[in-house]
Amino acid sequence: MEFHHVERRFGDNVVLKDIDFAIEAGKFYTLLGPSGSGKTTILRLIAGFNSPTSGEIDFDGKRINDVPANRRQVNTVFQDYALFPHMNVAENVAFGLQIKGVGKQETAKRVKEALHLVQLDGYGEREITEMSGGQRQRVAIARALVNRPKLLLLDEALSALDHKLRVEMQTELRQLQRQLGITFIFVTHDQEEALAMSDQIMIINDGTIQQSGTPVDIYDEPLNHFVADFIGESNIVPGIMKADYLVTIDGQDFECVDAGMRPNERVEVVIRPEDLDITTVEKGQLAVTVDTQLFRGVDYQITAHDQRNHEWKINSIHKTTVGATVGLAFDPEDIHVMRYNESEEDFDARLDSYEEDE
Amino acid sequence: MSKKHFSWGKVYLALVFIILYAPIVYLVVFSFSAGKTMEKYHGFSFQHYADLFADSRMITIVINTMIVALLASLIATIVGTMGALLIKGSHRKWRNALLSLNNVLMVSPDVIIGASFLIFFTMLGVRLGFASVLLSHIAFCIPIVVLMVLPKLNELSPTLVDAAYDLGASRWQSLSRVVLPAIAPGIFAGYFMALTYSLDDFAVTFFVTGNGFSTLSVEIYSRARQGINLEINALSTLMFIVSLLLVIGYYFISKHAGRRNRIVTVKEGDAQ
Repeated sequence: MEFHHVERRFGDNVVLKDIDFAIEAGKFYTLLGPSGSGKTTILRLIAGFNSPTSGEIDFDGKRINDVPANRRQVNTVFQDYALFPHMNVAENVAFGLQIKGVGKQETAKRVKEALHLVQLDGYGEREITEMSGGQRQRVAIARALVNRPKLLLLDEALSALDHKLRVEMQTELRQLQRQLGITFIFVTHDQEEALAMSDQIMIINDGTIQQSGTPVDIYDEPLNHFVADFIGESNIVPGIMKADYLVTIDGQDFECVDAGMRPNERVEVVIRPEDLDITTVEKGQLAVTVDTQLFRGVDYQITAHDQRNHEWKINSIHKTTVGATVGLAFDPEDIHVMRYNESEEDFDARLDSYEEDE
Repeated sequence: MSKKHFSWGKVYLALVFIILYAPIVYLVVFSFSAGKTMEKYHGFSFQHYADLFADSRMITIVINTMIVALLASLIATIVGTMGALLIKGSHRKWRNALLSLNNVLMVSPDVIIGASFLIFFTMLGVRLGFASVLLSHIAFCIPIVVLMVLPKLNELSPTLVDAAYDLGASRWQSLSRVVLPAIAPGIFAGYFMALTYSLDDFAVTFFVTGNGFSTLSVEIYSRARQGINLEINALSTLMFIVSLLLVIGYYFISKHAGRRNRIVTVKEGDAQ
């Protein structure tokens, strides 16, 4: 599956600009972005509900721009599941096979398999109204998978479930994908979900792909302010890159692991809240005053400010006192430097250039 | 009403229903009276029912009325459902205009509609009789069907049709196998509504019916002008029982359907 310079407009409104990507078979992809970013539009282009205004969409090397949805080897799990209310579970799952004219016995066998796959054995005769949200979700997945698509699209498929069920389904979906080897494209606005499940994440904002890569790459090395802010929590402060491996924040020099920039270039520095350790003022690199502290079960979420009134978010498993002045300690590896307006290619090239030296 | 649960709300409700049903009860009671008028009850008798079944003109009219109602509501249901699908599929700009045009027909007085049909048919040279009555009944039933089907269509998730396409269905398949079954309760309700509207229509039919063809409401009206005949009471009682059965039947059907998917239950059936 490949997108070449795809653009999509609704009237004067450009929803997607110059989208360019390739999808490898058998992987779990996630399109991650805030609502209105264009991720669902990409999904609808892949499914064939809309066609691009310009550009080309290829599937198995063939242009499929004008192939209608009912003739693509792609199936979708919709956000609201879109189960047919007048059919029972088995009839819903069998729908695609019946349309294609698959024989009765074969249909019954494949429906049974599909229901087994989503752990709904014996639920075939139930009505949709008798199923819970999580079960409906499974029916929707079975209904899509029973057609043996090459590509399974999931549109915000888990967002209607409660937190516990969602986490359960994440694991199951991931397992299912590994087991079947079908390419999954999952659309979500939930960054935790994206990080947990995907092989590859594409971050979409304003109709363009901001960054794509593995969850670890994206989390550890966000390309720009948007990505750093959207994925996980982060402290983003302005800094100046004095030289390779040396960055200045508020006139204080810190050792870091980034390089390849112009001397004295203005940059943004990202430090993840969980990388900040609270210690005594003497031992820390920065002195901050604690403003608030929230207990969240696993850790404390602490906000603090330094002398220059930069706010710092800290996730610590140790308790501290509100109003106290403490030191913040972090390692050079915890600092990630982002350049302004760097393109993804330049970013990758720069990373490659100095990571080879090490 | 037990004392434990006494409330003015219940008294009020009971009073409303007593007032609503009292005339009907009165009419039914006198249909079994042996006398000739409703002034005094003369003891139980089936005399008026015997008269009714001996009155072949009346029986013909009852059958005519049934045929018109069944045909008109059937055709109106088909046309109205297609209309609702088209209105739903039309551009938003047009949708409101179309819907308003539909609603205007619903609220405009029957007398006006009847008169305009009369002028229309005379202008076209259509002979007044069965055809003109049927056509006008179809016409005033269509907006009712549209109004009953459209909410069901709006309730339908737009992704349902997408899902059908996605699973390989053609346009026709997604309509016949997904959309129509899903809105079936609405279509069904529309049919029943149209049936009752057609059965008890007086004003429109009065204008467009000609010599030799009449429906029940028109016939009862013309007989009542010549003085009240208790045969009419007997007929009305029978019609009341039929509409009661219709409502009960509809209730059970919708309850059965409700098990499969929750439908709008239309409490309706005053085919008096």
